[in-house]
Amino acid sequence: MLEGAEFYFNVDHGYLEGLVRGCKAGLLTQQDYINLVQCETLEDVKIHLQTTDYGNFLANQTNPLTVSKIDTEMRKKLCREFEYFRNHSLEPLSTFFTYMTCSYMIDNVILLMNGSLQKKSVKEILVKCHPLGRFTEMEAVNIAETPSDLFNAVLVETPLAPFFQDCMSENILDELNIELLHNKLYKSYLEAFYKFCKNHGDVTAEIMCPILEFEADRRAFIITLNSFGTELSKEDRETLYPTCGKLYPEGLCLLAQAEDFDQMRRVADHYGVYKPLFDAVGGGSGGKTLEDVFYEREVQMNVLAFNRQFHYGVFYAYTKLKEQEMRNIVWIAECISQRHRTKINSYIPIL
Amino acid sequence: MSGKDRIEIFPSRMAQTIMKARLKGAQTGRNLLKKKSDALTLRFRQILKKIIETKMLMGEVMREAAFSLAEAKFTAGDFSTTVIQNVNKAQVKIRAKKDNVAGVTLPVFEHYHEGTDSYELTGLARGGEQLAKLKRNYAKAVELLVELASLQSSSPGSNAPLLTSSQSWMSESEKSSIG
Repeated sequence: MLEGAEFYFNVDHGYLEGLVRGCKAGLLTQQDYINLVQCETLEDVKIHLQTTDYGNFLANQTNPLTVSKIDTEMRKKLCREFEYFRNHSLEPLSTFFTYMTCSYMIDNVILLMNGSLQKKSVKEILVKCHPLGRFTEMEAVNIAETPSDLFNAVLVETPLAPFFQDCMSENILDELNIELLHNKLYKSYLEAFYKFCKNHGDVTAEIMCPILEFEADRRAFIITLNSFGTELSKEDRETLYPTCGKLYPEGLCLLAQAEDFDQMRRVADHYGVYKPLFDAVGGGSGGKTLEDVFYEREVQMNVLAFNRQFHYGVFYAYTKLKEQEMRNIVWIAECISQRHRTKINSYIPIL
Repeated sequence: MSGKDRIEIFPSRMAQTIMKARLKGAQTGRNLLKKKSDALTLRFRQILKKIIETKMLMGEVMREAAFSLAEAKFTAGDFSTTVIQNVNKAQVKIRAKKDNVAGVTLPVFEHYHEGTDSYELTGLARGGEQLAKLKRNYAKAVELLVELASLQSSSPGSNAPLLTSSQSWMSESEKSSIG
């Protein structure tokens, strides 16, 4: 791969990079959040959002305005933007976009598999699927009886096929527990995405690899934390850890043996990046939880991605930041509609 | 003493003895009914007091539970479809028992747990802590609801016999005041 992305990046991807930077400039600022927090009703929230980049996206909604309507409309807007980027992209950016949609596709496939096992109609599940994870074979899911048939008939054509390969032996799906299957698929997906970025080299690798390493380690920590007290065994837990992060291999071994939060903390203390994060976790119910701290760090890394030019990480970072913004707005709207304002400032500030 | 309630009787000594015995019987009956109505009134008032307390508590608990749902959605994303699709058998069930107060049977509901949590691994990758808190809050809400249902179903159950016994008591007391 030739070094010097600045020589040829703009030929294929310059228009889209300019566009995504323009969209990023439209993200809500701290002032916008302060205004939203001071709203009394959801109608006020709608009026405030009209002054931002969202514009009149709620104009066609009938009364009464609910939080789920706001959420749906925001998601539609994000999908429109994403589809526009994707349709105008060239290789290898389009493969990058495909990788980004794989995570939503995995969620949708798990939903569909669950639904077909419970003999529910495909139509009602399709409505609940994430729009960014749409793939053409979705409607065909209900013809299969077991998950293995499903794979052989339908999923082998999708980009998800290699991730399923890791979970299968002799053409039969090993994992029968849906949640564990979900996590194993996500692990294979992360590792494949990481390899793709690394092979691409250049600025993209410099930006995306740390972000994906953090995502992998974050998953390892959270899975460990949430598996204390459940029937998930230590060996099972270890098979769910993605291996493309900083914790591989020693940290993951130590994490698999951990039995409570303090042991996990000691594992994190070996790594300079994670020690301050764990120190920032407040004890008990008052302070921040580990997940909040991880969310903040993710947002920080995504914002820093915009400081370099000529790489694909801006698209990934923009999508993630937009999703976080949607979560923030939904959180503030819920606090307002439930009139429970004590924790209204617990959103994650972006800019 | 109104004219209609006069009992026509032949004034003989035997008639007087018979009438006295009848009066005594009526008075004993009235006292028993009074005791029954007092016991039922007491029970009814207790139930009402508990209903008011439980309803106030219910408001708080439901608010807390709805807020913890919002918190869980913030961290874990939208898990509602997963939860709805994995519905299997009920984990919390209700038993109905009978309670006896002054001869009146009142129904009482009691909840019990059965089976394991089928949502143990939901939220494994994100939001597990918030989901656990959410499960606890809603479990508390369900228990309170069962208690409230038990109280509210026993309150009309105790009210009806109370009314009939107090009506009979009043008509009895009228009759005995004549004789």
